[in-house]
Amino acid sequence: MFQKTLAFKIFFTVSLILIGCFVFLPLLWMINTALKPSDQTFSLYFFTGPLTLDNIIGILTDKTIMNYLKNSLIVSFLSSFMATLVSSFAAYSFSKFRYRGRKIVMGAFMMSQAFPQAILLLSIYLMMQRFGLLGSYWSLLISYVVFTLPVGTWTLKGYFDGIPDSLIESAKIDGAGNLRIMTRIVFPMAVPGMVSIAIYGFVWSWNDLLYAMTLVTDPARRTLAPGLVMTYLGEASTNWAAMMSASIVAAIPVTLIFIFLQRYFIAGLTSGAVKE
Amino acid sequence: MTGFRNGGRLTDRQVGVLLVLPGVAVFIAVILYPFISAIAMSFTDRSLLNPNYDVVGFENYMKVFSDPYFLQTVWTTIVFVVFSTLVPFTLGLIWAIVLNQGFRGSEFLRGVTLVNWIIPGTAIGFLWSWIFNGQYGILNALLMKLGLIDQNLSFLGDTTSALVCVIIARSWQMLPWYMAFLLGGLQGVPLERIEAARIDGANNLQVFRYIVIPGMRQIFFLVLILGAIGNLQHFDIPWTMTQGGPARATTTLSIEVYRTAFKNWKLGQAATVGTIWAILLLVFSIVYLKQVKESD
Repeated sequence: MFQKTLAFKIFFTVSLILIGCFVFLPLLWMINTALKPSDQTFSLYFFTGPLTLDNIIGILTDKTIMNYLKNSLIVSFLSSFMATLVSSFAAYSFSKFRYRGRKIVMGAFMMSQAFPQAILLLSIYLMMQRFGLLGSYWSLLISYVVFTLPVGTWTLKGYFDGIPDSLIESAKIDGAGNLRIMTRIVFPMAVPGMVSIAIYGFVWSWNDLLYAMTLVTDPARRTLAPGLVMTYLGEASTNWAAMMSASIVAAIPVTLIFIFLQRYFIAGLTSGAVKE
Repeated sequence: MTGFRNGGRLTDRQVGVLLVLPGVAVFIAVILYPFISAIAMSFTDRSLLNPNYDVVGFENYMKVFSDPYFLQTVWTTIVFVVFSTLVPFTLGLIWAIVLNQGFRGSEFLRGVTLVNWIIPGTAIGFLWSWIFNGQYGILNALLMKLGLIDQNLSFLGDTTSALVCVIIARSWQMLPWYMAFLLGGLQGVPLERIEAARIDGANNLQVFRYIVIPGMRQIFFLVLILGAIGNLQHFDIPWTMTQGGPARATTTLSIEVYRTAFKNWKLGQAATVGTIWAILLLVFSIVYLKQVKESD
């Protein structure tokens, strides 16, 4: 795209080094701190001194934090599954069916990310309190489904739009019912999109702090993000090695998903907004 | 497809509606009803401490608008949104241009960059609190070694620098997101037009100015609007780093609503701040939707 003139080479090299340092060094510093023995937390060496896994093992054997982790896994898997299912149904409906109100519902779904989450939380909290659901996973699950819905619906609608109507019609002529067409023809063709949405939903739920902190009041059900905030913030003397280790433990599941499913991940990340 | 019948039971229209119902149900439960009920709540003195409440009309609004802290909160939010959008956008664009050169390892760097965006905001808040720590933070140590300061600075304890720190952390988190979009945009710029411009003797800056930027206008607009909406909503990083402090210096609207409702238990007042905030967001969203419609 650009000619490799001297000016461009200078721009390229300086940017590569400066932005590269900004992007990569902080995370390395986190790992570095987590791997130092706890009496070395304040030493400045960068991977060149004694290193240990003790801090990480300390987190992995901490029953409370592991319980938070388990809760996060349950909530994230369930909400990701539900979000993918609900989005797929809605997207298929938007793509291949025509009925009154369809456009309005589509617009409403798309707008749902733009409603301020903190204000919705006020009424959701009261609602969940009334139904006695504070402290169960349900309040989180349905909230997370909604926040995946806009991206999910738009991405999958793109996939379904690509399936020719004639394919569906000929299946109908062969006597296939709607359920059969959906599960045997339509959904299998959108599997990559569904994977993207499942990942998106999982990461959203995994990383959420605001809703998780407010809607789950039972410590036994608390998820990882609010769990860590409540464990480490407001302590008199901060244990930075433990905090960095806990952060790494919290980052590992989503990072692993990213590494193994990167292709779907980037598709999901960009399609939601640029689609259409 | 309309007019087909499925075993004489449901019409296509009915199937279509049935499929969208779960989505509509959760949408009503989590967005529509809470939103309307929050607006209604803003006209009451509802509190989390007391189940009884009265309608107080515009009293909350008067209180909020005459509160000098509220204006400060709006201003902080604007500063946070503007810089946390423009800084990572600019850096993300440069980073995308660099990675788009396709040198050895550029694919790998792109992947590793995205990790910053994927990990929980809580972890990012912790990380930057540690970097900016006033006693043992690496930033203080580095500046000291370079001789730029002669005593440790309390970056997060100072009202001016705290907001800058939070913006830096948020920019670090979002840079990959902008990069991913902009990289896609760069790859969509038609190469033939660049070739043609080259033949006409255009240099790099001219190619960038007259071909790359116009070619990416749409995507620039989309990421800036979406980024701003995201920042208007953002909560995690300021909350984990400073809880809105020191002395409200990093209190944005989302933190204000959360704190008023769930730390001070004043639901009615929180709903008022939230309603005003929703109007701000609405403006952005309408601009966004209009743009999406135009690009259809």
